Amino acid sequence: MTAFLRFEILRSLRNVRFLVFIAGFPVLLYLIYAKQHGTSEGLTVAALLMVSMATWAGMGSAMFATGPQLARERQSGWMRQLRVSPISAPRWFGAKLAQGLLLIIPGFVLLTALGYGYGHVHLAASRLGLLAAVLILGLIPFCVLGLVIGLVFDGQTAQVAQMLTLLLLAFLGGIFIPWNVLPHVMRDIGQALPSHHLVQLGWNAVAGRPLHVSDMLVLAAWAAGLGAIAIWRWRQESTTA
Amino acid sequence: MTTTYPGAGGLAVTFRDVVKVYHPDIRALDHVSFDIDRGETVALLGPNGAGKSTAIDTMLGLRAPTSGEVRVLGGQPAAAVAAGRIGGMLQTGGLPEGAKVGELVGLFRQLYRDRRPAAELMRLAGIADLGDRRVERLSGGQTQRVRFALALAGDPELLFLDEPTAALDVEARRNFWRSVAKISEQGTTVLFATHYLDEADANASRIIVVNHGRVIADGTPSQIKAYTANRTLRFTTPAPDPAQLLRLPGVADVLVNGDAVTVRTADADATLPALYGLGLPVKAMEVGGGGLEESLIALTSDDNGAPDHGGTRNAPSLERVG
Repeated sequence: MTAFLRFEILRSLRNVRFLVFIAGFPVLLYLIYAKQHGTSEGLTVAALLMVSMATWAGMGSAMFATGPQLARERQSGWMRQLRVSPISAPRWFGAKLAQGLLLIIPGFVLLTALGYGYGHVHLAASRLGLLAAVLILGLIPFCVLGLVIGLVFDGQTAQVAQMLTLLLLAFLGGIFIPWNVLPHVMRDIGQALPSHHLVQLGWNAVAGRPLHVSDMLVLAAWAAGLGAIAIWRWRQESTTA
Repeated sequence: MTTTYPGAGGLAVTFRDVVKVYHPDIRALDHVSFDIDRGETVALLGPNGAGKSTAIDTMLGLRAPTSGEVRVLGGQPAAAVAAGRIGGMLQTGGLPEGAKVGELVGLFRQLYRDRRPAAELMRLAGIADLGDRRVERLSGGQTQRVRFALALAGDPELLFLDEPTAALDVEARRNFWRSVAKISEQGTTVLFATHYLDEADANASRIIVVNHGRVIADGTPSQIKAYTANRTLRFTTPAPDPAQLLRLPGVADVLVNGDAVTVRTADADATLPALYGLGLPVKAMEVGGGGLEESLIALTSDDNGAPDHGGTRNAPSLERVG
């Protein structure tokens, strides 16, 4: 599995479009907005936005690391070739999950470096460590979501589906704009989304507030539900494709 | 539930009464049966849509048969795949974007636990000079050869090749079959699908001809050729009478389509004078040979009706049409 994981990560890092997605937009937004004065959610704008943008970059990496490529490679026949090799489905899923999680790291490092260097955010090492842990574990459902989109959509539509899903999750989850300015209906939807709970956990971690178990449970439920869909799609495809 | 089979190490493939239905109207495989012994090199020969790829996909565990039994190396296809005992080169197959050829070959060698040295593998597949090339920059023929290398990476006991030379030029094709012959000498059982007739003749020790999801002939290339050592007479005559033509000496079967007549005969020298002796206005006479190409056209012609597909290795049989 490590050979496969290494292979997959190496070629992901050669995908320039992917790298722009995972880091380009969040960095740009941070540079534009981080210098605003004020506090929100008990944090300075610079710190709050560092968490938001790191979360967004993480969601993007987790989803884009695997999804569109998987859709294209199902279509091109590469996945069939792989199914004829001895790699087992659990090892393949494990490697894909690990790939998504490991590819979160560059975006996270970049955004925290910007936060410290450009936004003058100063966090205790323990809070930064907690934020990293929250993001890595909390992004698991997004890795699985990327796989689900890659297993459901074809090569042409997966990219668009990913982008729309990512934007909706970020927007309704309160990552782009403060959640309390959203209309009620949108807030109700947002409340059910994993993005909302992930960014809450991130803000709480950085502000030194207790983390809510309810947030974690929602994320775990999403991971389990999406995982079931991914396995179902995988099985469906391996018997009838 | 191990069964002991005769021969060295038993059967490589058992295909028993296999049916694959994609759609109520589409029977990709229609009660197909054959066995393949270890060490054989077998061609699955037939036109596009004959069921060749479906047959190979079921042997690779990529598709489940609707009914019937498919066993590979004495067990389920999936078990043989998981154990890395079979290699497969599928008909279509892109390579993963962003990878270099050397990395890809390295990955597959590791997935198969280093069974074949990298240098030997690259040489066998004819990609020794492509190690640093990104897969996006490969030509169609080079892609095909890389896929061949991946199929060989595990030094498989059983190798499936689905139309393996489609994108290869003449030179590459020759090298490809030379490598297949070498692998076969090393003991690998090879099953390849092709609609290139010369390829089946030149490279297989046995040919299974399929069409419309049925096995319509199964034998050595010389058996299949011998069967069509028959000559084919094609001519036109107004309102031909099949029954009359069937009574001519040497005639095996007669096909009538309007004014056009095709007569297959084992003895053209006897049939022709007798035919002209009937006094019919025979025009545009052509006498065809009995090469394998001819036999495939004969065996898979839609107008021949559905011949018996019974057991394995039956002598090819054609029904009389008249």
